[in-house]
Amino acid sequence: MKNEKTEKKLSIWGRLRERLTPDEMFVETEAQANKLAALILFCSGLIIALILVLTAFGLFLLPMESVFSPLIQAFAEVVILIIICRVVKYRAWWLKHLLMLAIIFVYARLDCVVTHKAAILMVLPVILSSRYFSRRVTIFTSLVSTVAFAVSAVYGATHGMININIVTMDPGITMITTGGFLGDTVKNAGVSDAMLIKNTMLFDYLPKWLMFSIATIVSCNIARRGREMVMTQHEKDVETARISTELNLATRIQADMVPNIYPAFPDRREFDVYATMDPAKEVGGDFYDFFLVDDDHLCLVMADVSGKGVPAALFMMASKIILANNAMIGKSPAQILTDTNAAICSHTREEMFVTVWLGILEISTGKRVAANAGHEYPVIKHGDGSFELLRDKHGFVIGGMAGMKYKEYELTLEPGSKLFLYTDGVPEATDAENNMFGADRMLEALNEEKEGTTVDILKHVRASVDGFVNGAEQFDDLTMLCMEYRGPEKA
Amino acid sequence: MTITKKKDGAALTISLEGRLDTLTSPQLDAVLKAELPGVTDLTIDLASLEYVSSAGLRVLLSAQKVMNAQGKMTVLNPNETISEIFEVTGFSEIFTVG
Repeated sequence: MKNEKTEKKLSIWGRLRERLTPDEMFVETEAQANKLAALILFCSGLIIALILVLTAFGLFLLPMESVFSPLIQAFAEVVILIIICRVVKYRAWWLKHLLMLAIIFVYARLDCVVTHKAAILMVLPVILSSRYFSRRVTIFTSLVSTVAFAVSAVYGATHGMININIVTMDPGITMITTGGFLGDTVKNAGVSDAMLIKNTMLFDYLPKWLMFSIATIVSCNIARRGREMVMTQHEKDVETARISTELNLATRIQADMVPNIYPAFPDRREFDVYATMDPAKEVGGDFYDFFLVDDDHLCLVMADVSGKGVPAALFMMASKIILANNAMIGKSPAQILTDTNAAICSHTREEMFVTVWLGILEISTGKRVAANAGHEYPVIKHGDGSFELLRDKHGFVIGGMAGMKYKEYELTLEPGSKLFLYTDGVPEATDAENNMFGADRMLEALNEEKEGTTVDILKHVRASVDGFVNGAEQFDDLTMLCMEYRGPEKA
Repeated sequence: MTITKKKDGAALTISLEGRLDTLTSPQLDAVLKAELPGVTDLTIDLASLEYVSSAGLRVLLSAQKVMNAQGKMTVLNPNETISEIFEVTGFSEIFTVG
């Protein structure tokens, strides 16, 4: 029992504090709501000006004397409030209360004049208050409205547009008017102010107030729901920002995992390697690798994990490490793939697999031994020739099925040969009409730059792909590697 | 992607129409999980399938593994693009293609 009471006291203080120092996100909501309220005030000011003009031309229902005072006051309030709003730029914790008060009093003035014709005026401020997404503001507006419109009902009963429906007369009376306003005639017939006021409150104000209280309930509900939505959205935004930061970090970790320092082998003149990796999302499933197994053997790897994004990235990291470890021991490409497949199959349940092309080049002789596990055909340019697809024999993808045995093949590179490896992101790059870049365009791009350096070649292929897709969203990871073999070092 | 099923005792034929990619493979996965128990002869007809991505290959691979344990699976009528994809990825060695 005691805890409940202290908790209640604490929460009241908490709410007071909250009212004095609003939450940052609600400051923005409030500013927007203030702008809306100011806009409503401005439009109301225009309407008031219009009424004054019509009355001046005798086109309105009431004589200028009745109308002038309240309307000029209302107009002045509008002008002052809009100036205040501009000065504080719609941001001040007290502005919302001031605006609600102003709107209520402006409408109350109008109510004095047009009385029963404008039942809707009473409801407008409380409905508008729901935009603040604060039940406190709505309640405040509702209470002030109740009092202000009661006062204006009383004033309007005797000074404003007369409501013939609530005037009760003794039976048997005949009235003849000889021109002028009916209201004046009724008044001159000796209808008492007290009766007018009493009837107005009972038959005009009270029904309006009942409808108004329904509007208050609806407004409170809107305010509460709106507040909940803003808070939920804020939580989601915080979570999204956290995930985004983590993904950016993951991107950097992944990028650092693959060799990316160029020139890659500055002290080796027999060959040059250059590669780029460009994930479609923050992290991807493609990777390449190159390293010297020993002084005379260069290992090149190009691989593509099934899928994209975080799951593919995790699988990529594991595959890369297992492949490199097996290669560093000095195994042959076929053996490397067989053993890597065994290791990966024993670890994965998710049916993810990776396509791999792996080649080991004997630098002194130009002899290359390679194996292909479900990966795209490599592209070779022999000596003085052009780049051509090498349709090598394909084993099954790595991680697909346990127990697969892989086969390797031999190829000899002459000095001046170039090798281009890639993942399917290159030929399958699509433009806005879903046309694919294709292997033919890729070969074309390669041959346009065939005498260039490894860096030039990759830059040119990338430029071709970019030109083809022409701004369409990147659908798949783009990874490429180019190696140039210049021949063994002359002793 | 549209999936049509035809069951004949313990034999099931599934026809695919459209694209089997990252977005649509979960659909096929769900159908296979629901329908495969008890099936000894699975046929997948790709006559109306335009394209299969690695996500699609994964679903087909897991179906192949399931059927290796309880019967057989045949893949029918892959078009030129899909045949090439099977070739390159080595899936043509794993699937029985008709």
